[in-house]
Amino acid sequence: MTAEKQNIHPKSGTEMNGAETLVQVFADEGVDSIFGYSGGAVLPIFDALYRHNEVMIEEEAVPINLVVPANEQGAGFMAAGYARATGKVGVLVVTSGPGATNAITPIKDSMADSVPLVMISGQVPTGAMGTDAFQEAPVLNALGPCAKHVFLVKDANKLEETVRTAFEIARTGRPGPVVIDIPKDVQNWKGAYKGDGNLPIRGYRNRLEDAKKAVISDGKCAQFFNLLKNSNRPLIYAGGGVITSEASEELRLFAEKYNIPVVNTLNGIGAIPSDHKLALRMIGMHGTAFGNYAVEDCDMLIAIGARFDDRVAGNAASFAPKAKAIAHIDIDASEIGKIKTAHWGHVGEAKESLQRLLSYGKDFEKDYSRWIEHVIALKEKYPMNYDRKSKLIQPYYVLEELNKIVNGEAIISTGVGQHQIWASQYLDFIKPRRWMTSGAMATMGFGLPAAIGAQVACPEQMVIDIDGDGSIRMNMGELETVINYDLPVKVLLFNNSADGMVRQWQKMFFGKRYSGSDKIRHAKDFVKAAKADGFKYSKRVTKKEDVAETLQEFISYNGPAFLEVVIDRDANVYPMVAPGSTYQQMDTGDFIPSRPTPVEKDEFEEIIESDSLPDAF
Amino acid sequence: MRHIISVLVENEAGALSRVAGLFSVRAYNIDSLTVAPTEDSSLSRMTVVTSGNDTAIEQIIKQLQKLVDVVMVEDLTSGAHIAREILLLKVFVDTEEQKASVKRIVDIFKARVLDVTESTYTIEMTGGVSKSDAFLEALKDWNVAEVVRSGIIGIGRGRETLNLDAASDI
Repeated sequence: MTAEKQNIHPKSGTEMNGAETLVQVFADEGVDSIFGYSGGAVLPIFDALYRHNEVMIEEEAVPINLVVPANEQGAGFMAAGYARATGKVGVLVVTSGPGATNAITPIKDSMADSVPLVMISGQVPTGAMGTDAFQEAPVLNALGPCAKHVFLVKDANKLEETVRTAFEIARTGRPGPVVIDIPKDVQNWKGAYKGDGNLPIRGYRNRLEDAKKAVISDGKCAQFFNLLKNSNRPLIYAGGGVITSEASEELRLFAEKYNIPVVNTLNGIGAIPSDHKLALRMIGMHGTAFGNYAVEDCDMLIAIGARFDDRVAGNAASFAPKAKAIAHIDIDASEIGKIKTAHWGHVGEAKESLQRLLSYGKDFEKDYSRWIEHVIALKEKYPMNYDRKSKLIQPYYVLEELNKIVNGEAIISTGVGQHQIWASQYLDFIKPRRWMTSGAMATMGFGLPAAIGAQVACPEQMVIDIDGDGSIRMNMGELETVINYDLPVKVLLFNNSADGMVRQWQKMFFGKRYSGSDKIRHAKDFVKAAKADGFKYSKRVTKKEDVAETLQEFISYNGPAFLEVVIDRDANVYPMVAPGSTYQQMDTGDFIPSRPTPVEKDEFEEIIESDSLPDAF
Repeated sequence: MRHIISVLVENEAGALSRVAGLFSVRAYNIDSLTVAPTEDSSLSRMTVVTSGNDTAIEQIIKQLQKLVDVVMVEDLTSGAHIAREILLLKVFVDTEEQKASVKRIVDIFKARVLDVTESTYTIEMTGGVSKSDAFLEALKDWNVAEVVRSGIIGIGRGRETLNLDAASDI
């Protein structure tokens, strides 16, 4: 501690302007890439970055990579892709007014999916604020409810501490985006660099400390294992918090040690390898039939870093209807008991919590083998399936073929819609942080910029954006960004000439009135568009028999590649649990078998009936 | 049920809009909201009067505690506390009889007449919520031209405090 204190920052005492101070804190925080778009109110920052990089190059040190998108929304999703792929804080820099308002969507998106970002926005000079100045926007008010926190730096003396604190807030607790609005005069202000110090943020830091100290007590561990002992059919429900907390290894150990099957949310994909014996894949509105049935059948649900979102528990009252006990671990106290009452709850990191339970329960044993047999039978009886005989290209088939080639080794990003769900259902994910999708906000246009951010963060990793014709249009300008930075991103486009998910809902719930979702008359030639942006590999597949071979060629192409697959327009997403419905009412379509309702009385039913679970406090 | 929630916030730009925004975005009721500096110049205190069932109030408190600027939150209603509101109101009194009657009500409620003109009384009354309501009810047949309510502020009884010393005890 004292040694650290004496370790004075080499730049301490150096006079810098505000913009240089900002860039210096970036360097101190280990920022290696910034996604940003310039403009009047951030010129000093872009200049400071340029000069910083000149010095770095001169000193043969590593400069900060600057990636310029086509639109500030792209910068935000790139920073998010970077953060999702690495767990590090993603950084974006945008100008005042439209620069900042364009970035609202990725900020809110990252808030909803708990992605750590620091966004810097330029602001008009302090004296001009509130005068309806040129490119002035109320960043503090507009982004306040969308971000984890927004700072407006009016006192230039506090700029350095504010930036450092923003990184701290972004990455700690439940991570999220932090915005710093910096008026131009503050960027030009001159003062000595301190090299140390954060803002007090007393309440936040106190609560963080409390959460860190709140190790699960022996008594509470005992309660947990008592619930588990009284359960015959426990099920782990893993959410994005497992990924955020880097707890997938602990989750696997936990599941294996006690022999408990695992379902995951959309953002929890990768929390456990999808091909694991205990993995029942995704649950919810478009979860696997076997996963959803397991939720119906379980008698204890262990929620970890998950929040009973309405796409999972659309009908909260009858979600996991036979569960006599719900245990819930989450870093965010407000999530526990928000939707479903938890019989056992703990506010803390998923990783530490699982480690603690594992060490307390090292001798705990209970035989769940009949339950495991049951869920394995569910997997065998109700597998994912589709019209394999169709002459049209089925998207599921394309994904199965892709899966054979990449085998869980690629980072996959997606847009939003049918293709997103198909990718979540038909691809395998063997490691965390290889699946990135806009989960809670479901922002169309997320896929391409997120893939760019991930590729910048992981240059050696294969990154594939699986996109739809509706989604990719939203941030189509970023195709050029792929080429500008020579990134080997692969773009696999499913084209059904429609906003497919909207069309499917209209088909199912709105009498086939395809209002506003049909794009059959849209003229865009995606292959030409990609070529125009500089993609040397850009192809279209329209025949089923060409799919496998072309995919192979596309994936093994050395460099950026674009492949459009023209799919069956009427391919649907199944299973489908309609909004507000129960899992029992799930529609599995024509090709996935569904369980008769009510469940036939079988051997398993006897297990349920023979249960005698004492009331869990 | 009505709850009085006391919130200590950092005296920073945007803290008020963030707390108020949380209530509107999450569709929580605000009956009244007051903000003012405290004995510690780096902190402001907001007193929010809201209503809802236990689950809703628990969510409100937990969501408030997620705001970075929020230092401490307490539901005063969960313990022994004192709540007060100031009422300023203007009554048109044209006749001596009206003046006498209004003055009688003012005296009964231990209120004060702050300003007198030929035809108006401007009155101050301090009290708990039910007293304010009762006072307004008592004056309802008179020509009340304007009512200004401060919104409720509250404080715990006895040694209960909500300040940074209390925060470090947690």
